[in-house]
Amino acid sequence: MSYFNIDAQAQNTYDAIVIGSGISGGWAAKELTGKGLRTLVLERGRDVRHVTDYPTTNMQPWEFEHRNQLKLDVREANPIVSKCYAFYEGTEQFFVKDAEHPYVQEKPFDWIRGYQVGGKSLLWARQTQRWSDFDFQGPARDGYAVDWPIRYADIAPWYSYVEKFAGITGNKDGLATLPDGEFLPPHEWNCVEKHFQKKIAGRYKDRHVIMGRAAHITQPQPIHFQQGRAQCQHRTICERGCPFGGYFSSNSSTIPWAAKTGKMTLRPHSTVHSIIYDEAKGRATGVRVVDTQTKQMHEFYARIIFLNAAALNSNLVLLNSTSHRFPNGLGNDSGVLGKYVAFHNYRAGISAEYDGDLDSTTDGRRPNSPYIPRFRNVEKQETNFLRGYAAGFSAGRSSRTDQSGVGADLKESLLNPKLGGWYVGSHMMGETIPKETNYVALDPSLKDPYGIPQLKIAIAYDDNDDKMVKDYQEQLTEMFTEAGFKNIRVRDDHRNPGLDIHEMGGARMGKDPKTSILNKWNQVHHCKNVFVTDGACMTSTSTQNPSLTYMALTARAADYAVKGLKKGLV
Amino acid sequence: MERRNALKTMAGAVGGLISLPAWANGWTAESIPSSQPFISTGQTELLAEMVETIIPATDTPGAKALNVHQFVQKMVADCYDKTAQDRFKNGLESLDGWAQKSFGKPFNQGDVAQRTGLMTQLSKSDDSAQKDFYGLVKGLTIRGYMTSEYVMTNLTHYQFIPGHYYGCVPVSKK
Repeated sequence: MSYFNIDAQAQNTYDAIVIGSGISGGWAAKELTGKGLRTLVLERGRDVRHVTDYPTTNMQPWEFEHRNQLKLDVREANPIVSKCYAFYEGTEQFFVKDAEHPYVQEKPFDWIRGYQVGGKSLLWARQTQRWSDFDFQGPARDGYAVDWPIRYADIAPWYSYVEKFAGITGNKDGLATLPDGEFLPPHEWNCVEKHFQKKIAGRYKDRHVIMGRAAHITQPQPIHFQQGRAQCQHRTICERGCPFGGYFSSNSSTIPWAAKTGKMTLRPHSTVHSIIYDEAKGRATGVRVVDTQTKQMHEFYARIIFLNAAALNSNLVLLNSTSHRFPNGLGNDSGVLGKYVAFHNYRAGISAEYDGDLDSTTDGRRPNSPYIPRFRNVEKQETNFLRGYAAGFSAGRSSRTDQSGVGADLKESLLNPKLGGWYVGSHMMGETIPKETNYVALDPSLKDPYGIPQLKIAIAYDDNDDKMVKDYQEQLTEMFTEAGFKNIRVRDDHRNPGLDIHEMGGARMGKDPKTSILNKWNQVHHCKNVFVTDGACMTSTSTQNPSLTYMALTARAADYAVKGLKKGLV
Repeated sequence: MERRNALKTMAGAVGGLISLPAWANGWTAESIPSSQPFISTGQTELLAEMVETIIPATDTPGAKALNVHQFVQKMVADCYDKTAQDRFKNGLESLDGWAQKSFGKPFNQGDVAQRTGLMTQLSKSDDSAQKDFYGLVKGLTIRGYMTSEYVMTNLTHYQFIPGHYYGCVPVSKK
């Protein structure tokens, strides 16, 4: 590769390179091309074009050979990804199979991945809550991780910026813990959810039940029509890809938008091996890419690089980008790269029944549900564990059929279901504390099919997480009891970390280059033209679903990067 | 309700404006038989009579006419482990013997009452070979029937694209 002729080098040179096309990479592509930069977007998987590459999106339930159940051989070959709730007959094509990208589980970790254009943005649960200063100030107040180098005021305008484009449904609730955004009309509540909201408001000053904020277009604006997207049709089969563009994905939104500028070159089947660091220039000059079809290595060059390979893979790329200057990974003078990885604790849940409101029911389907923002340790430390949890909540009316008979009686009963009572349920989303001992590293000997070191993952729960599970169960039991719910059952499924699909950190942002990898602009402290704006950048996790924050951080960093290029700061 | 009707109309209009690509029309996956026959032709016919006994034709088609027996064997062949597959095959092999014992004829020659009676016997049997076999076939028969195109389209009126969610609807209006 070192004897590249100058023409070939020029041909492989862009203004910017974006590594990854998922929820944050798509935003980097949109912002950088929108500001006029010729941008190469590298995606390790295949291309997935909006609508035409959603093979199951319009299949009726009876058109699935196994009615969406996974075949036994698929489950046996994929014990990890088969645990994911969204992996079924209609979505198999969008998930990485276990054997495709092996990794080392030093501790049990279910790594759920989507390698294709759009990444996991096709598959996500679409919940989009803003962080508040209670979240950004958490590490400093409670003495864990390092202080975030930004506060809510730094990111608030960028939340607004991405929300307007993506299309976020929600209600302006006026809560300090969960700032309001640029909302399209909220989804409807059902009677029992309203009842719960009222009961909780009456009993607790600091606990709120609100309608979830989600990336669904409930009332399309001109900006959505310009993207070719329409109103969400409530099919609730989002993870198969949506032909209406009713929910936000890179495929339906940012990637085609970037393509329209004429400035984007999208290169699928391109796994990034490492970032090239030029010792003389003191900056990154490009990336080494393995073409997954030919297995040949190529080099591409650019003035700035956005790393958006998804949290753990971005760590992998940085760790594998070694040079004389950076023997332990790009920008890793501090030695913290790959460490302080955290996630969300989804272990606990609660379910119950309710025998009121029997004269009402629901009609249609809702791709969203109510949400209980964090209420523990908000203003001050008040429990025997650090931080807290948010919770999802929903109610639905059951229908029952007597299936005990056989013959014409059974048929009659199946076709005439009786309306049952209401069921209610909730699940926790707990903040986990980033620790040095929760880390990822390169395995010294094992390689993936492309000759790139395998990632070794050592991430586990701790005592703080166990206490939080117990507190969630106790508090939600109390709240359910207050609402008159019956037959309350709590659970702790002891799922492995990873199955939350909210892994974060490893290349955290911070004020001090001695204890962090990125500065307040998501810029590598020691390599100013490399930006990491996916989950790898997260200093702490708080309780909110993280994607909206990645989008806002990406747009903010891209703005800084392009201005910085002009001023010579990057 | 005016707002709801308006919303319904709007949702319909939006749906109507978006025409699906031509290739989408090709998606009419008929259930494709497994490449290797999982059970014999004779057993397939027997299974067809069994699912028809569980959900018979009345003024609407029964499980056999809706090809539920094909669905049942495909599910057992592709989605179940060897224990369940053996239970399924052994059950089909034994069914005529059980019928002989119960009403003195092969299963297919029994009348509706005799076959239905045998199903009830199997469901209450102390022999797990009988009870579990019946439970497996019955569960899959119900699933195949309820998720068949005929039932979802004509009887339970499945909405693929509801276009709405209304939270509080009086039961009387449903």
